[in-house]
Amino acid sequence: MDLYGKMAATQGTIQGKEGGDQNFDYMFKLLIIGNSSVGKTSFLFRYADDAFTSAFVSTVGIDFKVKTVYKNDKRIKLQIWDTAGQERYRTITTAYYRGAMGFILMYDITNEESFHCVQDWSTQIKTYSWDNAQVVLAGNKCDMEEERVVAADSGRQLAEQLGFEFFETSAKDNINVKQTFECLVDIICDRMSESLDTDPAVTTATPSTKLTDSAPPLQQPACNC
Amino acid sequence: MGKVESKHPDPDIPKIIAAWWKTIEKKPQRPTLIIPNVHFTFPTLWGSRGDSPPTPDYSPTVFSTLWRTHETPNNFVPHFSDSVGRAAARTQEYLLFVDPEGKFKPSPAALGEVFLMTYVSRSSHLHMTDSFNCTAMTKQQRVLLGADWVWAVLERPTKNPCIQIAVQILHLSENDRGLAEEHPEVCAESMEMAKMESANRNKAERMVDFCASVGRDCYALFLLFGRKGDPGNIYGVLSNNFSAATGRTKINRALIENFFKGSRYLHTPAGMLQAIITKRPGDPLTLLIKFT
Repeated sequence: MDLYGKMAATQGTIQGKEGGDQNFDYMFKLLIIGNSSVGKTSFLFRYADDAFTSAFVSTVGIDFKVKTVYKNDKRIKLQIWDTAGQERYRTITTAYYRGAMGFILMYDITNEESFHCVQDWSTQIKTYSWDNAQVVLAGNKCDMEEERVVAADSGRQLAEQLGFEFFETSAKDNINVKQTFECLVDIICDRMSESLDTDPAVTTATPSTKLTDSAPPLQQPACNC
Repeated sequence: MGKVESKHPDPDIPKIIAAWWKTIEKKPQRPTLIIPNVHFTFPTLWGSRGDSPPTPDYSPTVFSTLWRTHETPNNFVPHFSDSVGRAAARTQEYLLFVDPEGKFKPSPAALGEVFLMTYVSRSSHLHMTDSFNCTAMTKQQRVLLGADWVWAVLERPTKNPCIQIAVQILHLSENDRGLAEEHPEVCAESMEMAKMESANRNKAERMVDFCASVGRDCYALFLLFGRKGDPGNIYGVLSNNFSAATGRTKINRALIENFFKGSRYLHTPAGMLQAIITKRPGDPLTLLIKFT
């Protein structure tokens, strides 16, 4: 619960040199993690810039993009961190787990090893993040059906077992990309509202406003495919 | 004397030439010298072979093919040297530029881009990117990691980096703020966020921290576009051990320039890369390099 109090502290304004688009009601720090070459960067590019390139450029260390979404008239700024999947960057990437409210844990449906590593990534989240961080499991590259080696059901079962939401996605064909992020935002908002219900003192800003009140969800009400 | 009759009939010249052309066509095609984008018209015995220019051929030249066939694990060293040499020479042209009216001067960002564009263009032409690649950082990464680009020796067949050189340009005209922090256009919202993440450390220290977090096979290279007293040359200080200074002293341009005081030997870019490749894993290494 304490972290949602900290999250409330991220409400406000970033004092930038540029005017406009600096204000937000909430800022959520999200991370995309998973094995190298599962498509994390492409996934973020599709969501933030609606772009895709098949050229593979391995991410060096860490990078991020910012995207603003609206939910119940609240501006939610998403600070989305794209992490390098290679082991050599593990020290720097895990340093950014701290304070993250949500994770997209990604594997590649055409790469069995990336699926087998999901459990290890989940352990990394537990080790370096806080207990209430929300996770969505994403089986990426679902456009490559002919090369599939991980069944959708296997992904779904593993997600259930780990307590995560689950999507099969394609950055290339723009399948379930937006839905994955929206689902993650929804769960974080739900948890935040629960936290406000149990302890309204955790935030000083608009404590009576529940992000889940009245207005419909951003897009799809259900998370699973 | 009567006419001497040949025992053989007169040769059928057109038939012989036709047969000769056929044998040529049947022969397997040999490698030929193809220069992309260059259209030569060679005079021949038969005159011009048509008026239309030949179709541009963008296939690799015979020289690059030869280089590739003689590939050895470290054959990217001469290619790196070639690419970096060209980049440094091109950059130096602009570094030495003096506007007669003293009004125009290329910006530090432009100089960095000239270097990187020339390097990328040449290294791509030499087909070295399978074994040694270059990744330009995004503006966010330049703030977070302090590097302007990262060179990497790739292991095969995974193409994962096994040795990296994070490069940061230091310009004679700028202070410790560094390239990305100097330009208002990159100080957008995301830049502010990136800066919040990396508060209390300057750009040089951020790169040193990044390299230290990866390990001893990740080197920090400070590329000096001009030094005090020698503004027209490009030098470098490379080390996998800058982090030893962290906490004891501030890592900034003054510290980097200090390395050259009393220095005895300046490596070439090829010598630098060779030293990195042949070094024992885990050993510290610090080198001074002259790029021009």
